Amino acid sequence: MTNSWIDIKNTDCCLIIGSNAAEHHPICFKWVLKAKEERGAKIIHVDPKFSRTSARSDFHVPLRSGTDIAFMGGMIKYVLDKELYFKEYVNDYTNASYIVNPKFSFNNGVFSGYNPQTKIYDKSSWQFEKDEKGAVKRDPSLKNPNCVFQLLKKHYSRYDLSKVSSITGVSTENLVKVYEAYAATGKRDKAGTILYALGWTQHTVGVQNIRTSGIIQLLLGNAGVAGGGVNALRGEPNVQGTTDHAILYNILPGYLPLPRANAQTLADYNKATTPKTVLAESINWWGNRPKYMVSFLKAYFGKNATKENDFGYAWLGKGDVPKSERDGDYSFLYCYEKMMKGEMKGGSIWAHNPCQSIPNSNNIRKALTNLEFMYSAEIHHNETTDFWHSPGIDPKKVKTEVFLFPSCHRLEKEGSISSSQRMIGWHYQAAKPSGKSKAMGQIMIEIMNEVIDLYKKEGGVFKEPIVNLNWYKKYDADVVAKRISGWFTGGPNKGKQLSGFADFKDDGTTASLMWLAAGSVTEEENRLKRTSLAQTPLQKKVGIFPNYAWTWPMNRWILYNRASVDKNGQPWDPSRTIIRWDGAKWEGDVADGGQPPLSKEGGKNPFIMLPDGLGQLYGTGLVDGPFPEHYEPTETPVTNHGFSGQLRNPCAKIVPGDKIAPAGDPKYPIVLTTYSLTEHWCGGSETRMVPALLEAEPQLYVEMSHELAKEKGIKNGDPVILESIRGEVEAVAMVTVRIVPFKVQGKTVHLVGMPFAFGWTKPGIGDATNRLTLYTGDPNTSIPEYKACQVNIRKADKVTELSYEEIKVEEHHG
Amino acid sequence: MKVTRRELLKVAGAGAGALALGGLGVSYLVTESYAKDLKIKGAKEVRSICPFCAVSCRFIAHVKGGKVVSTEGDPGYPISEGALCAKGATMNSMVNSTHRVLKPMYRAPFSENWEEKSWSWMIEKLARKIKDTRDKTFTVKNAEGQVVNRLETMFHMGSSQMSNEEASIVVQAQRALGLVYMDHQARI
Amino acid sequence: MAKTFFIDTSRCTACRGCQVACKEWQGFEANYTKQLGWGSHQNPQDLNPLNFKLVRFNEFKDKDRVIWNFFPDQCRHCTEPPCKLAADGEVKGAVVVDKATGAVIFTEKTKKISKEGFLMMKEYCPYNIPRRNEKSGIINKCDMCLERVEKDLLPMCVKTCPTGAMNFGDRDKMLALAYERLAIVKKEFPDAALLDVDSVRVVYLITHKRDMYHNLAMLDENSKTGALA
Repeated sequence: MTNSWIDIKNTDCCLIIGSNAAEHHPICFKWVLKAKEERGAKIIHVDPKFSRTSARSDFHVPLRSGTDIAFMGGMIKYVLDKELYFKEYVNDYTNASYIVNPKFSFNNGVFSGYNPQTKIYDKSSWQFEKDEKGAVKRDPSLKNPNCVFQLLKKHYSRYDLSKVSSITGVSTENLVKVYEAYAATGKRDKAGTILYALGWTQHTVGVQNIRTSGIIQLLLGNAGVAGGGVNALRGEPNVQGTTDHAILYNILPGYLPLPRANAQTLADYNKATTPKTVLAESINWWGNRPKYMVSFLKAYFGKNATKENDFGYAWLGKGDVPKSERDGDYSFLYCYEKMMKGEMKGGSIWAHNPCQSIPNSNNIRKALTNLEFMYSAEIHHNETTDFWHSPGIDPKKVKTEVFLFPSCHRLEKEGSISSSQRMIGWHYQAAKPSGKSKAMGQIMIEIMNEVIDLYKKEGGVFKEPIVNLNWYKKYDADVVAKRISGWFTGGPNKGKQLSGFADFKDDGTTASLMWLAAGSVTEEENRLKRTSLAQTPLQKKVGIFPNYAWTWPMNRWILYNRASVDKNGQPWDPSRTIIRWDGAKWEGDVADGGQPPLSKEGGKNPFIMLPDGLGQLYGTGLVDGPFPEHYEPTETPVTNHGFSGQLRNPCAKIVPGDKIAPAGDPKYPIVLTTYSLTEHWCGGSETRMVPALLEAEPQLYVEMSHELAKEKGIKNGDPVILESIRGEVEAVAMVTVRIVPFKVQGKTVHLVGMPFAFGWTKPGIGDATNRLTLYTGDPNTSIPEYKACQVNIRKADKVTELSYEEIKVEEHHG
Repeated sequence: MKVTRRELLKVAGAGAGALALGGLGVSYLVTESYAKDLKIKGAKEVRSICPFCAVSCRFIAHVKGGKVVSTEGDPGYPISEGALCAKGATMNSMVNSTHRVLKPMYRAPFSENWEEKSWSWMIEKLARKIKDTRDKTFTVKNAEGQVVNRLETMFHMGSSQMSNEEASIVVQAQRALGLVYMDHQARI
Repeated sequence: MAKTFFIDTSRCTACRGCQVACKEWQGFEANYTKQLGWGSHQNPQDLNPLNFKLVRFNEFKDKDRVIWNFFPDQCRHCTEPPCKLAADGEVKGAVVVDKATGAVIFTEKTKKISKEGFLMMKEYCPYNIPRRNEKSGIINKCDMCLERVEKDLLPMCVKTCPTGAMNFGDRDKMLALAYERLAIVKKEFPDAALLDVDSVRVVYLITHKRDMYHNLAMLDENSKTGALA
């Protein structure tokens, strides 16, 4: 989230799209309702299904799953055509005036530079025109046909109401209703926020879905302001923290790119990953990259990281350079593909249930049988720990050795958690670990200590990163939190904690395991443990609590907050001030950099993480295009969409071996979308074991319209079988007015929706919905397309996965 | 005389309740107080964070004799102000669940059962497997001949259920081994 | 001073924090539930001895507009409880009223109430609240978390509610809040109403016509059962 949970109360219009906030982030809805009740804000829910969120919104607009870019593209066109954008903001704070290389083109759904063999774009024609000093050429009049603003207009000129309506299944009246309400926030004294979640990310156009909100928020002047922002409602806690700490293939902690094979030295790495600008008014924060990378290496390898040995840079494994859709992609998509082929020997799956929660889960279950060994740390047995006796798998034929370590509950250990709004808070230990369970941190330390001992004793292949590790004897969350925040490894303050970003050096005298948290644990205190509600009057008005826990970066609650003020540092809307320049310094929230506002001497642009500091209406960073373009989901009920001849995202990651139904396949005419629900968590392995939760949501269901039920002869409560090209799943029919048939290109398209929390280790409740979903990924993130695939449905004569008996739940021992 | 529940309350609701009830010959028994003992009386309060959804609501665990006896929302957290949803309301049941894995368990190749093992047995056997696998299959150079020094035959599929400190530890260990196939629920 | 709940359904998101928190606080085990033959989010299907609180779901379609009403059902703690009337005829002290709060409490003595007496209690209750635990013989329902209220803590359902749907406090304050909210909510929902204000200590604000909630939501003889889903 760029903004905070509480900040939602400051909005005039809350567009919830790709999220079911009331069900999946229930507590945040108090702030949504506050905006409605106290500011008269409009609450709009755009989603395939009418849910508990829709019930509390001013209106709900049903949208066919996978057509969000068409929907949002129509909004961009609406805003541009009616000139509803915030002109001063667009002129001063975005790259609207930037001139793009005249060789850039967009033809029939494909941008210039596409190579169909590798499915990769050569982005050279997408770049900006530069002058002799290296500055991007601009046309402040915004009239140059190659300027970003004109290209944006041209690109979305095709997104007219009738075309958008025809493909999304949203009536033109509903389109205008949403566009009008949201575009009204393009005024200086109005703010609109966009809340999204996995409903946007889990598509083959996931990142481009989000880009549409970036473009809209920049056009309307809603980025960086109170009551605005682009707000990813992050899922699991601690998914924000574990992303920051990079349990991910493509980055190191603190969003430092994974070293690739073409960067053999630290100097190569710094050169390749450190952006440059010639603009004096740009902070270009990532210009500091070398400091963060060296400090990271110092934290990893301690005194063994020296200037002479490149701070141990060579000890980090290098990824391949992405030269095709799969080169250098080490995400789970390709991990399990490799496992299917028998090329993986072993590994760890911790507090994670892929046999339940990863698409085409029949394949995942089989893939694990190809491993020699697997080790897990879990709180309950689940479909993954027990994959070797899954339905249809004979344990006597499964070679895999499985080590299952008992993991203790959060209440039995301490540490810190980062919320969706980047607030890092401390949780304390209430009880001793039950039985012989231990904290996952402790388990990993014990395993690694043994491995380190073996390498020290016996030697081994490339032992340097292992024996030189700056490691731990035992798990102590306070000690690790200090290392994360960072300390001086040399100089006059050696041994002391860093106070913040300003302390970082690239000479090996500073260390931090995750630079973004610098300043969270200082010499004086562990600020993650703070619980004071003290505020200044200005902070109180907008709901900032700077003395409660600690928020990265530098305790800043609202990112890009320099965009909430004009060039003179005065808020666009004084009633919603988050920062203000008092002539000498900023007051309110922690400003994005202490430098003066743009019009003053030494003033800076607001978007400090971008090289030039300007919001990108047009961006060259993504692999699948500088503007979002509508493409159909990999499995789609239509054979053409009318925006271009390119049906699907040309860069989508199609993993070999995944079965995909052809477009418009009459065997699978129904759109399936999947989701979670309030009462269970993700794959459900924890919540299914809680009596009161299983009581409230006991069995796998499929929500469908009355119209579809009638067509198929299905009644509410009937057992049904869903079938995709990949597998079959039993579910209970929930026939409801909350799902409606869509009119798409004049024809009826049905959609059904299912949760994925029910699995076979709790007998009688149903098994993995993800046996239906497909494995194709977004080209930028490799997130699979959980939210749209094609299925058929029929009434079941008999069921084996669902019990007619009432489901027994665990005894209560509270 | 048969009085339906609806008629009864209608009369009461009309403000003539006392009269009507009196007319039926019933008197109120009013107790001084009727409250059970408060089960959290004298309990130690420990603050934690709900493990579901990234609103990250705080809650208070009431602990007696080293055991969690009740949990409820922490009113001091400015975002939730003491509230919890259905999931967050069940922390007590969750921590005290009898279904939990409480011992190190091992499943041998082709076995149909779990076996209980000691921590040291598990750690020693696993560390040996990790080292042997790594030493046998480590990739020094990629197909193009560039030095990559990575371990492609092992993977870590991790968890957003960890604290930051645990995540940091896990990533540091896996990167030290040279793993590149590393991922977690950020994509789910 | 006598206490009152104010339940503002216009703010309810059916997160079921109240339903589950109540159960957890009471330490109740779960019922066996299923979706086959039922097909609704409303689980368990009805109030029972192990659920003092149940969020009821009713959905309708009015032209293109979907209406999904949530109703966190519970004992209304009537100001003059007819269940007591029924019980007193058999066992004095089985149903008592707490002096300080006005809470209607079912005591251990309800064990002694006969089958007929229990049926009469159910029949007298306008909202069909009393339930008998067949194992223990106790008749039970919401007890206002009296032990919490005595220690100035909120009843668990109110404490847990994220959105301000559940409110609890002194009766005059709650009624003032109820009328204040009614005036506001009426602007968006002209059919909004407070249910049975004068005769209950659990006052509901509903947004739609009475027949768009479950059939015992209020004292209206003519109310119809809403379609369940």
